[in-house]
Amino acid sequence: MHIVDGALAVPVLAAGAAMTVAGVAWGLKRMDYDHLPQVGVLSAVFFIASYIHLPIGFSSVHLILNGLIGLALGWAAFPALLVALFLQAVFFGFGGFLVLGVNAVNIALPAVLVYYLCRHGISSPSPKIAATWGAIGGAGSIIITTIMVAFSLMLSGEAFLLAAKATFVAHIPVMIVEGFVTAAAVLLIRKVKPEFLGIDEERVYG
Amino acid sequence: MGKCAVEVTLCGERGLHQRTVSKQTGFLSMVGVFIATVFLLITQSAQAHNVIGGVYAIGSTVEGEVGFSNGDMAAEGTEVVISDAAGTELGREAIDSEGMFTYEASQRIDHYFSVNLSSGHLLDLILPADELPDSLPGGGATRAAKVSEAQVNFDGDQKALQALVEQAVAKQVKPLRKELAAYKEKAGFQDILGGIGYIFGLCGIGIWWRQRQREKGDASVS
Repeated sequence: MHIVDGALAVPVLAAGAAMTVAGVAWGLKRMDYDHLPQVGVLSAVFFIASYIHLPIGFSSVHLILNGLIGLALGWAAFPALLVALFLQAVFFGFGGFLVLGVNAVNIALPAVLVYYLCRHGISSPSPKIAATWGAIGGAGSIIITTIMVAFSLMLSGEAFLLAAKATFVAHIPVMIVEGFVTAAAVLLIRKVKPEFLGIDEERVYG
Repeated sequence: MGKCAVEVTLCGERGLHQRTVSKQTGFLSMVGVFIATVFLLITQSAQAHNVIGGVYAIGSTVEGEVGFSNGDMAAEGTEVVISDAAGTELGREAIDSEGMFTYEASQRIDHYFSVNLSSGHLLDLILPADELPDSLPGGGATRAAKVSEAQVNFDGDQKALQALVEQAVAKQVKPLRKELAAYKEKAGFQDILGGIGYIFGLCGIGIWWRQRQREKGDASVS
């Protein structure tokens, strides 16, 4: 998911940076500062999630978790993910500094989209429906991210269908795993700490 | 662990908040999951999904290896473009089924290898001129002359001997080089803790700043 320095054209980098600045500014403005510790913890979770490779058959995948982060944070996903991506570039050499903006948009924007798309679904009174929407959010955010990654590469000259196919196919296992993880996380958080997902308790338990 | 303390004081500040207790347990369980994940990291010795590779000269033959840091090698048939310092293309080689490629150097100059593995994965490798044998034409000609001057005591084919020595040394050094490259690529546990520390530190600054704003607000009200 991390595009490296040198792969993208300058206008794409500039557009990505501008969108990230706007997203982060909006996210910081909208953020409820009482939830700052949650933003930090989820940022840290994303920071290390990319580092843990889960073996799947002959290959391995790493979680991205932007769906879960989006569901929990909404627009605050932008600052949370930007900080984590920056630190990943510093410590692990993932991605790069010039492409930071593009990477942040490619990962954070799907998170925000999922927030608006599935927010209603995960607060459903029925746990089954909520888990389904959680899974849709988890897998959906990866799908949108792969499309955006392919789109960024296309704008820089790579053939869209080829890039999209390669990225999409490579991430099918991630989508499945993320779907399950996000659904499970939604179920757990609903029980343990419903306000974390901004769920109206009366609607769930009333 | 510092996080717990912060959360507790925040909850305490809210005073009569009804869900304080469950909030704390919820948060503690989250921290628990978080710590468990960190420990999982130590045992797994996982690696980054970066593109890694190396080029090694064995005599005038350049051997290269391209793959991903999770152990997958580059796809067969991926093209490696070889160019000189000025960007002039010297040749193209295809990667074989084991992620390796070989290139026969004809000049003793810096060689630049670039590989595009698609999906935004790029790799640039450089083989400095001084790793190539002196016998090749190019930048090192003067040095080559000096070497042969110093070796006047040897009988027999100087060039063949030199090539043999270079091959033998390259063979011995290759595993060390590979290990070194892998070591450089692997982020340590310190890096992980460092990153998490930065994130929590940023949060701390945010909370502190928020607290100041709130105190200012309270002061102006009263």
